[in-house]
Amino acid sequence: MTVFEPLSPQKACPLASGHRFDGERRWAASIDLGFTRRDEPAGPVTRLTRARHQGPLRVQRPFYPEPRDAGGEAGSCHVYLLHPPGGLVSGDALSIGVQVGQGARALVTTPAANKLYRADSHGVAWTQHTSLSVAAGGELEWLPQETIAFDGSRGVQSTEIALEKEARCLGWEVLALGRPAGELPFVSGHLEQRFALTRDGRPLWHERQLLDPTHTRFSGRWGQGGASVQATLWAVGLDDEPAAVDVLREVVPSSPRWAVTVRQGVLLLRYLGDERNEAWAICQAAWAQLRPLLLGREACVPRIWMT
Amino acid sequence: MTTIMTMCTEPQVMATGTASQGDDLALLGLMQLVSPALPIGAFAWSQGLESAFELDWVNDEASLHAWLAGVLDDGLSRCELPVLARQQAAFMAHDGEAVAYWDAWLAASRETRELAEEDRRLGAALKRLLANLELLPDASALPGLLPEQLGYVTLFAWLAQARAVPTRQTLLGFAWAWLENQLAVACKALPLGHTAAQRIIERLRPELVVAVDHALSRDDHELGPLLPGLALASAQHETQYSRLFRS
Repeated sequence: MTVFEPLSPQKACPLASGHRFDGERRWAASIDLGFTRRDEPAGPVTRLTRARHQGPLRVQRPFYPEPRDAGGEAGSCHVYLLHPPGGLVSGDALSIGVQVGQGARALVTTPAANKLYRADSHGVAWTQHTSLSVAAGGELEWLPQETIAFDGSRGVQSTEIALEKEARCLGWEVLALGRPAGELPFVSGHLEQRFALTRDGRPLWHERQLLDPTHTRFSGRWGQGGASVQATLWAVGLDDEPAAVDVLREVVPSSPRWAVTVRQGVLLLRYLGDERNEAWAICQAAWAQLRPLLLGREACVPRIWMT
Repeated sequence: MTTIMTMCTEPQVMATGTASQGDDLALLGLMQLVSPALPIGAFAWSQGLESAFELDWVNDEASLHAWLAGVLDDGLSRCELPVLARQQAAFMAHDGEAVAYWDAWLAASRETRELAEEDRRLGAALKRLLANLELLPDASALPGLLPEQLGYVTLFAWLAQARAVPTRQTLLGFAWAWLENQLAVACKALPLGHTAAQRIIERLRPELVVAVDHALSRDDHELGPLLPGLALASAQHETQYSRLFRS
């Protein structure tokens, strides 16, 4: 594990309420990553030029598993984002920022599922906020492993994506409710998931989901339809969007549990079902098809997914 | 309340008529706007309902009632209805920036290609109709008030405001038109009997009022449709083999 920048004394000072267990408990952790395209003797390459963190969020040293392209430019800079506690409990406040500079290429993933634990006796919520921004000509793949929300967890997960002209971005969120195999289903708790995507400040897509197992929409067909696993994949910056949709419909086995559409320049693939593995396989297959169309390069599966 | 825009479509009454004549004209204007006879082609769109039939999610009177009640509460009362109220207020205040903001907000909340198209195409059709009737605002008098390409909801709010329809009634009228259109879809495609359709109306009539109450009480940050199943169905509809409707 590498700490790229020493913490300033101000930032190292833990928030006073970190060890409280009442309704005021707050435990903040944040990381702010910056990627910059550099001209180097061997050819252009994207470097991780900023990695400020506070609390238990880290990145490993970036690596370059992809070959240089025909123009001699290095492949995407791959980064694993680590959250050693492995999950969120009441009062946790995670904030993740990723900024991709002009022409830079970055791929960010996580080494394991993110777990959302049952809220404490005070019902205190956690929050996880992710802010992704990509400058003109930049490329970002945001491919975290799934989030597992245990019964009784309460919190808000929001993802903001701010793109400049010509920026390309593909990402997903896979959310599983309750423990796998239905041993401990999600029968209480309250989750809110939000997405907001803008291009040059103009809103192109926003979405909000409230996951409350006691509400009729949780089982209603217009809503969650009783699904315990959901996934949302977005891709922006495709040159030929209808062709990309056609390819996905041809290659990914059709089922009533997933569908793809394009509106306002944003391709959206959604899954509603009960199998984490199925959702993950659909997202990964879609990514493998979309990457060459979006970035002109074959998908390079992060090794960490296979461990 | 008399505004410049009100005067531009109802000049005689506003100039010489009584208040009750104005109310009557407003009511008739709303009935004209929500009538299935309004030639904008609303009957061609099902908002994902045809796909819900195909998926066998909706297959009888009871499941249709549940679907419509759900979409009313998790869709309309959090999305179209509160935006209608905001747009009508924006038109009243001559706030072109707010009109453009909420029009773009609504477009960004459309979950699928067909749902986005529906709002855009109905908007374009209504705009053409209003232009033919010389009911559109004068661009030189009100520069920038109407965005170039705007959605159905925004134009609906414009006309309601121009006809001095009270906000609550605008929302009730919009929700009523939605319900009638959905039931027409069901009568054609499910098929649902006409008496059964009226039974559903009887059950949902009070819920339309509740939906309007909710819509008028929500803050901006509480807005946004909560319809993941409808979004999935609507995207599935793009590849549905046999279909009568465009959404």
